[in-house]
Amino acid sequence: MSLFDKFEKNAVLYNSLSAIGKNPFAVVMEEVLGPTRAKIKGRETVLAGTHNYLGQTFEKSAIEAAKAALDREGTGTTGSRFANGTFSGHKKLERDIADFLGLKHCVVFSTGYTANLGAIAGLINPAEDVVLVDADCHACIYDGCALAGAETIRFRHNDPESLDKRLGRLDPKFKGKLVCIEGMYSMYGDIAPVKEFVEVAHRHGAYLLVDEAHSFGVYGETGKGVSEAEGVMDEIDFYTGTFSKALAAIGGFVASNHPQAEYLRFSSRPYQFTASPSPATIASAGAALKNIKEHPEIAAKLWANANRLHAALTQYGLKLASKPAPVISVLLPTKEDAFAAWNFLLENGVYVNMAIPPGTPGKESLLRLAVSSAHTNEDIDRLVAAYGALAEAFPSAKVTAAAS
Amino acid sequence: MAGVENSGIQADDDLVYRRICSLLEPLNQKGVKLTRDVDLVADLEVDSVSVLDIVMDIEDYYDISIPVNTISETKTIGQLVDAIHAIKGQQG
Ligand SMILES: Cc1ncc(COP(=O)(O)O)c(C=O)c1O
Repeated sequence: MSLFDKFEKNAVLYNSLSAIGKNPFAVVMEEVLGPTRAKIKGRETVLAGTHNYLGQTFEKSAIEAAKAALDREGTGTTGSRFANGTFSGHKKLERDIADFLGLKHCVVFSTGYTANLGAIAGLINPAEDVVLVDADCHACIYDGCALAGAETIRFRHNDPESLDKRLGRLDPKFKGKLVCIEGMYSMYGDIAPVKEFVEVAHRHGAYLLVDEAHSFGVYGETGKGVSEAEGVMDEIDFYTGTFSKALAAIGGFVASNHPQAEYLRFSSRPYQFTASPSPATIASAGAALKNIKEHPEIAAKLWANANRLHAALTQYGLKLASKPAPVISVLLPTKEDAFAAWNFLLENGVYVNMAIPPGTPGKESLLRLAVSSAHTNEDIDRLVAAYGALAEAFPSAKVTAAAS
Repeated sequence: MAGVENSGIQADDDLVYRRICSLLEPLNQKGVKLTRDVDLVADLEVDSVSVLDIVMDIEDYYDISIPVNTISETKTIGQLVDAIHAIKGQQG
């Protein structure tokens, strides 16, 4: 019995796909050519499988701010927020995010992953509290529950009634109740009925945490997220987010109107025991935030691109997971179809993500296209052409095939 | 209501066991014969998310809540059935 036996089954698949150069999980961007282009396998490829929703990876002001921070403060903080890694830049960014969201408090973490881990494990006392989690929540929310050692109950995806039932039958022994949902879900690009969740959670005396990792900067009139679009920014209890997508840096945060959110700084191990984001990272995230705040036309361009792509893919008869959103997923019946279709798109100069069970909702495999405001008309032309060819080559990806 | 003692129940008479087996059958790709000793992951090769989804059906059917932590501690069909009986006893 070896430590490594458990890897065997997946290793066979991984290595055989790599050997024929068709492993979606081993793609290397050999040369980055811009916010939506890179060289993959020697070929210039349109990137539609990153989370560069607002195209900020090459934003001039962000690059300049990062360079200045490097010169001024050096390459790394060499310590954690708690012990020895809080710089004035971290504090300023916390203020700027709180102001952007119209919330009173913000705590910056090193990634979105640790922000969710830290929020849940920091808030929950496993001896007396319970967490209720949407069935399709991201791994970091489940990992947060595991780290907390909390009693964790799953409710049906985007189903406030399912949550209502589970809150209703909770043992009265539980003192604190935390409900976790996301804004936009990254696999299908579907959005949560946050307003209904607020009502149900609060009726049962529970707190609501909304992870807006994919919707920050993208949804709502001023880009605050799905909670803003639903008109409940002031009612949700905790807002978590990341710098890794719309802001094109690395880092994450927890924001809240509850003053006690500040206590996460000394009660949250993922805040206390990992190094803080580097000065350049913080500076570029701050500059990107300023830029998207001053230029709402960036998000408008993202939506125009998303609507155009969604309409084109619909017209090809492809089976899409949701209505127009910055993530547009095509559903495929089997893993084998998904592998083949993903490789087909790459050979047609288009990079998207492939997702297969168990990481997907339901039992589908899917091709996941992430739209960027930086996609040029020419990029979109190439995406549309590649998906048109896909619709011809893969009848199983079409609505009619699935229905028959 | 007191917890149900599992030792006295014959697998075939046990409605929870039968319900779980019928939910597992569509996922039983290899046609393994289902018994209480079958390991969900090792024998049936059912992924952890599918187990959670099956449990959600059970929860709604019996109107009980089964924590994720409880499920991750069970390996075999029999252990899952016993855990559900115990929770039914407390909540039902
Ligand atoms: C819903 C959700 N939350 C959190 C994260 C983690 O963010 P980060 O990449 O900053 O760790 C991701 C994505 O990776 C995500 O999809």
